[in-house]
Amino acid sequence: MYLKPSYEIRDKYLRKDMLPTIFCPGCGIGAVLQYTLRAIDDLGLNQDEIVWVSGIGCSSRVPGYVNFDGLHTTHGRALAFATGIKMANPDLKVIAFMGDGDAAAIGGNHLIHAIRRNLDVTVILVNNFTYGMTGGQVAPTTPKGLRGTTAPYGSFENPFDIAELAVAAGANYVARWSVFNYLQGINSIKKALQKRGFTLVEFLSPCPISFGRRNKLKTAPELIKWYQKITVPISKAKDMPPEELEGKVVIGEFVDRDRPSLVEEYEAYKRRAKKIMGWEE
Amino acid sequence: MRLLNTTGWVVKMQIRIAGIGGQGVILAGIILGEAAAIEGLNVVQTQDYGSQSRGGHSIADLIISKEPIYDLMVTKADVLVALAQLGYDSTKDSLRKDGILIIDTDLVKPDREYVGAPFTRLAEEKTGLALTVNMVALGYLVAKTNVVKKESVEMAIKRRAPKGTEEINLKAFRIGYEEGLK
Amino acid sequence: MRYPFPVGDADFIQGDEAIARAAILAGCRFYAGYPITPASEIFEAMSLYMPLVDGVSIQMEDEIASIAAVIGASWAGAKAMTATSGPGFSLMMENLGYAIMTETPLVLVNVQRSGPSTGQPTLAAQGDVMQAIWGTHGDHSLIVLTPATVQEAFDMTIRAFNLAEKYRTPVILLTDAEVGHMRERVYAPHPDELELVCRKLPANEEEAKYPFGDVHGDLVPPMPIFGKGHRTYVTGLTHDERGRPKTVDAEIHERLVKRIVGKIENNKKDIIDYETYGLEDADIAIVSFGIVARSAMRAVKELRKEGINAGLLKLNVLWPFDFELIEKIAENVDRIYVAEMNLGQLYHMVKEGANGKAKVELISRIGGEVHTPGEIVERIKRDLR
Repeated sequence: MYLKPSYEIRDKYLRKDMLPTIFCPGCGIGAVLQYTLRAIDDLGLNQDEIVWVSGIGCSSRVPGYVNFDGLHTTHGRALAFATGIKMANPDLKVIAFMGDGDAAAIGGNHLIHAIRRNLDVTVILVNNFTYGMTGGQVAPTTPKGLRGTTAPYGSFENPFDIAELAVAAGANYVARWSVFNYLQGINSIKKALQKRGFTLVEFLSPCPISFGRRNKLKTAPELIKWYQKITVPISKAKDMPPEELEGKVVIGEFVDRDRPSLVEEYEAYKRRAKKIMGWEE
Repeated sequence: MRLLNTTGWVVKMQIRIAGIGGQGVILAGIILGEAAAIEGLNVVQTQDYGSQSRGGHSIADLIISKEPIYDLMVTKADVLVALAQLGYDSTKDSLRKDGILIIDTDLVKPDREYVGAPFTRLAEEKTGLALTVNMVALGYLVAKTNVVKKESVEMAIKRRAPKGTEEINLKAFRIGYEEGLK
Repeated sequence: MRYPFPVGDADFIQGDEAIARAAILAGCRFYAGYPITPASEIFEAMSLYMPLVDGVSIQMEDEIASIAAVIGASWAGAKAMTATSGPGFSLMMENLGYAIMTETPLVLVNVQRSGPSTGQPTLAAQGDVMQAIWGTHGDHSLIVLTPATVQEAFDMTIRAFNLAEKYRTPVILLTDAEVGHMRERVYAPHPDELELVCRKLPANEEEAKYPFGDVHGDLVPPMPIFGKGHRTYVTGLTHDERGRPKTVDAEIHERLVKRIVGKIENNKKDIIDYETYGLEDADIAIVSFGIVARSAMRAVKELRKEGINAGLLKLNVLWPFDFELIEKIAENVDRIYVAEMNLGQLYHMVKEGANGKAKVELISRIGGEVHTPGEIVERIKRDLR
């Protein structure tokens, strides 16, 4: 894959007057944003037809930095807003950029239903295992035993596996990578953007200041090395016994299918309604 | 008890239909209201019922007037139609002293003057469907009070009766109407 | 254009049904909702009609999602509506504030039922007055309409959409279970006979750059909807005229919030609507709105028959509120009675408006039954003795 120089991507897609970003040194959000922009660029998608939606959190600030139509909404609700945007104007392509707390905690219900409906949206989910913006509280994704300000002695709850959740709820495409899997990440986003229905690409992303610092992983390189240790490609994981997978995070493409999307189903619904009511042309 | 004559009627009439859930009380109210609307009269229709789909009380109120209507609820009914004892018991105090009480004579034991007929029995015998009791009672009510024209009600039945039941409901209405003319 | 219900004609329908039909005639093509008594009928009617007129009606997972979807649809260019009752209304508060802050046109119908909490789901009340005006956090303003008849429910729904589009604001149609479920004759004009307003779109690229600025001097910015190449950024954070978040600048915040509030408060003459009866020579005024105004009207007529000079102020718009009008009335009457189905909400606004120039009394009723005209008459007569 030929990678354009970053400044070309920056010049074309970022709102200069909004920089610098609020992201900390070592934050992985910038990388995930770059992969998304490269995917859009590679596919030659029309900037005027894309709408970015987000909730609240560091990841959710991303739509403010990119030169597209953007809706920065309330905490956890991005996918509900996205449903309205897409159904009112199916010609728009919707990208939802969210963090793990926003999407899986307060937004959990909307996440499940958006997937159930197979809403045509591509979710780029930045998973840093914490609530970064508010200072490092635990999230539904924090691995058991790891610390956050609201579980200073180590989380006592089981975490979600968001990718598995999405597969079970019926998404058309689900992939998970860490920020250092840049080639796979860009390719997954490209695949996701081209598919109808609900597509999700999750990225394990370093948050050294709010998460890493409390868990003896004070810098981004340490966090990324940690990801290398704990991630297992899905091709290997499926042959491994459960005990070996304890504490590991599976990465790769989880599902790739083409169930009818919400827009398609609603078009068919309108045709059915008109037929039943004798309104056909 | 004052029976309304055939030509005029009071400027405004408050009608209450009471029964139990499942007797079609509310539909009767809607059809009567629609008939009044068809004639260009002002009409307000409200309803009250218990939470059970079957068996609780069911009340339909109509206020029909030539002038704009500001009331919503029947406060003093000019006419009370009671299709079941439970319906009668819950509503009897709302009927004016000289109002008209119309009852299903088989099912209601009233404690005042009344007119009526065995609506449920007539419905069962003449249409084969006890469920049309509401239309029989409605026909009787229209004949006795002349609040709206027979033809208006028939048009309303054609519009509002569930698809496929228009004929049987019209039949029940006409039976009740004939009974009311006696 | 074909419609799945009678148009240019009258029909005998419920308030909820009338609201749905009016919305479609006003051009609403997006509805998102969640089932709740006594508003479900609005949703069901929209669900029946929308697919036939190429609109969208979708059931969301909760009321929070419903209003969110409506806001999203509005930014995608559609006239959008949702309807709910007390419990759902409470859930919608955060996103309602978001709609106000982002100046998103939408119509939110609250068919009030008796509360608080789950309360009396099938019975009417007027207990959400204060919540409709102040329910969402922070300084804000919005428009609240209150119909008293089924025809008004129809007419005010059309007006709600027009005001929402004209002022780029959410408009609340505050009705109740009585109006929602009663049936009356309603005349639905053909859309060609209706005056319909659509949001201002940017006239050029320069205007599109300032989606939150006073571009035309009337406090209402043009709305650069998504998909037109405007690259609009919409956020609930305090933002400048271009939509860029600027959260620590006091001047920017003040300018933004005061303009949003000013949009409504400075246009009271255009928005406020009320009817009076007999106030010219009245000694006693009754102030009322919604379903209670009907009983109040009868009460005024009854009182006059008994030689008592009563007058009625029927409010059709609860917010913005005409405090000066109340003061003028207070100067001419001895007493003002506020009749409402709650423990006193409009009462406080009227008391403030009266400014001590007349005694203000509350005729309160809760429990799901509407005031009867007789009750109002008795109370006033008793007080006069």
